[in-house]
Amino acid sequence: MLTHHWPKATAPDRVVVLGARGFVGRTLLTALASAEIPSIGLSSADLDLAAPGAGEKLAGILRPTDTLVMLSALTPDKGRGAGTFMANLRMSEAVSDALQKVAPAHVVYMSSNAVYPVVCGPISEATPAEPLDLYGAMHLSRELMLKAATQAPLAVLRPIMIYGAGDTHNSYGPNRLRRAAHKDGKITLFGGGEEMRDHISVDDVVGLLLMTLLHRSAGTLNLATGRSISYLDLAYKIADQFSDPIDVVLTPRQSPINHQHYDIINLRRAFPAFVFETIDDGLAKAHREMLAEALPT
Amino acid sequence: MSNPVIGYAGMTHLGINSAAAAAARGFDVICFDTDPARIFSLARHVLPVVEPELPELFAEFGERLRFTSDPAALAECDVIYVAPDVPTDDRGNSNLAPVRALVEIVDGAMRSGAALVVLSQVPPGFTRSLARAKTHLFYQVETLIFGRAVERARFPERFMVGTVDPKASLPPALATFLAAFDCPILPMRYESAELAKISINMCLVAMVSTANTLAELCEKVGADWSEIVPSLKLDKRIGPYSYLAPGLGIAGGNLERDLTTVIALADQHGTDPRMVQSWVANSMYRRDWVLSQLHERILANVHDPLISVLGLAYKQDTHSTKNSPSLALLSGLGPFRVKAYDPVVAVDPTFHPCIQAASSALSVCDGADVLVIMTPWSEFKALSPSEIAERLRGRTVIDPYAVLDADACRNAGLVYVTLGVAS
Repeated sequence: MLTHHWPKATAPDRVVVLGARGFVGRTLLTALASAEIPSIGLSSADLDLAAPGAGEKLAGILRPTDTLVMLSALTPDKGRGAGTFMANLRMSEAVSDALQKVAPAHVVYMSSNAVYPVVCGPISEATPAEPLDLYGAMHLSRELMLKAATQAPLAVLRPIMIYGAGDTHNSYGPNRLRRAAHKDGKITLFGGGEEMRDHISVDDVVGLLLMTLLHRSAGTLNLATGRSISYLDLAYKIADQFSDPIDVVLTPRQSPINHQHYDIINLRRAFPAFVFETIDDGLAKAHREMLAEALPT
Repeated sequence: MSNPVIGYAGMTHLGINSAAAAAARGFDVICFDTDPARIFSLARHVLPVVEPELPELFAEFGERLRFTSDPAALAECDVIYVAPDVPTDDRGNSNLAPVRALVEIVDGAMRSGAALVVLSQVPPGFTRSLARAKTHLFYQVETLIFGRAVERARFPERFMVGTVDPKASLPPALATFLAAFDCPILPMRYESAELAKISINMCLVAMVSTANTLAELCEKVGADWSEIVPSLKLDKRIGPYSYLAPGLGIAGGNLERDLTTVIALADQHGTDPRMVQSWVANSMYRRDWVLSQLHERILANVHDPLISVLGLAYKQDTHSTKNSPSLALLSGLGPFRVKAYDPVVAVDPTFHPCIQAASSALSVCDGADVLVIMTPWSEFKALSPSEIAERLRGRTVIDPYAVLDADACRNAGLVYVTLGVAS
């Protein structure tokens, strides 16, 4: 649950975004610019958080009045092993080091729903975090590192799978299914696509992130829509976006079915006026953007 | 023996109703409270609590009730019940200091040989921990139900009495008093009686949680919980009085207190608390059912909606708002316009930053985008769905407790949403 240090939405002095070239980072910086909130975006090219001395460098940039948003992470497509895990922790170590040198006014950490195990029934912030893999363990470790490193209000946001045209990852979700349909004219599902999953658009994630900044919120919040659909339904929704017929291919099931649902009442209470994009609208927008990006310039 | 004089220390909801029931059974009753203002009001039959039939009881048997803030008056009593409120915090943790303090006052005032009976809800071990001789010390399980307190006090199903020696006879004065109610008397050791009260409440919570869990499933699979309930009540193992109405979680404070007590005791003694913890989680989850429905059906679709709320008390026939689902709902509606009405609880700006008070149950509907019925007051059952439909701007009625007739609402063109039914 989040608590708002600023009950009335107020623009922060400046927002420093780590992970500026990532999928969420780019969208956030665009939103901050639209809202005329001063910001600095730092990508790994600007500041390699895993390199020695990164904490010192970040401390040289940070001001006590800043809001720091940490989006940087090596995602599972960059590796699932111990090397990636340790590199991610080094990045968090650098940020923790910087936070101890310069205490900003607010810190926001973009974690992941990977901190949760497979559970029966809806996941909420009260669900014990028991990661099943190193990626989830990394995010949980980073949450704890940042909590230990700063006295500033800290918001930990745990998004479910994010979709949008600009996503560079290829996890089993709307982005991969859309790309597969675009490239191969077919969508291949695990088993019968029975698993229920919640998917959130990058615009909604950034909208909620922006609200977190404007209210200087602290605490832990899952970023989910509260509406899960099956992969099969998702595949058909994506296929419907294309003018040519798209085959939805089912395969023999290799692993047991598990579903994921989210209880988002804490999000409702934190941001009562927030309205989610429907999955149909979000998929249509992502589809349009994908086609626009594919057009020759 | 002649009728004993009965004392009640602590003019609480429990104390007042119990004292009135004792008077109705023909006993002279001394009602003591440390608050002179409360005594002053009660002596004039100005009641600080709302309970059906309580004013009538005061009117009929009031001459047997004597009110005092002077503890010395308790020296006349043969049996003294100590019945202060045991306050709880937001997590249901009990503060036992008030009951200890009142026991001390009573102890100092009562005559030798009189029986002191703790009536407040206390955890196992409390009565034995009191620093006094145990021969005339008892714990009696209270079974007060808000909204049915008079009925429960006048016609108890049984008395559960904790004593230092369950095989010994009760003192004649206490035995005479209890016998006047013509119901079974079950003596047991202190700890058993203290845990009996909690055990009753745990069984009730288990039933309610079962109902809530399956009612939610009904909403998803197209079943109707109200069609299932009669078949359960006809099962002798479950019974006709079982608590199977789905609701918005556990409220009122007493059940929550017992849930917290059991979890704390399990933690202390290393027993398994997980089932009780899941009841607590389920209660919190169901409490927000209306807020979720509002978001899905109204808040995501209607610009600047006006939300009408009928009912603020945690249940009907009471003024109590302790852990009220209605107030929990209001706390989640911060930026929206809200209009509310309750027959007893006054609309208060602390409930919601921009809440408006309506003058009647029907006028609360005027121009609203949605009507939400949060307390099943009988007054609301008399509302005409067609009149509601005429006054509402929107079409949606969210009625978790099924106060209104579903078919009549649908016939009036309303979208009717209730617990346990897909809609």
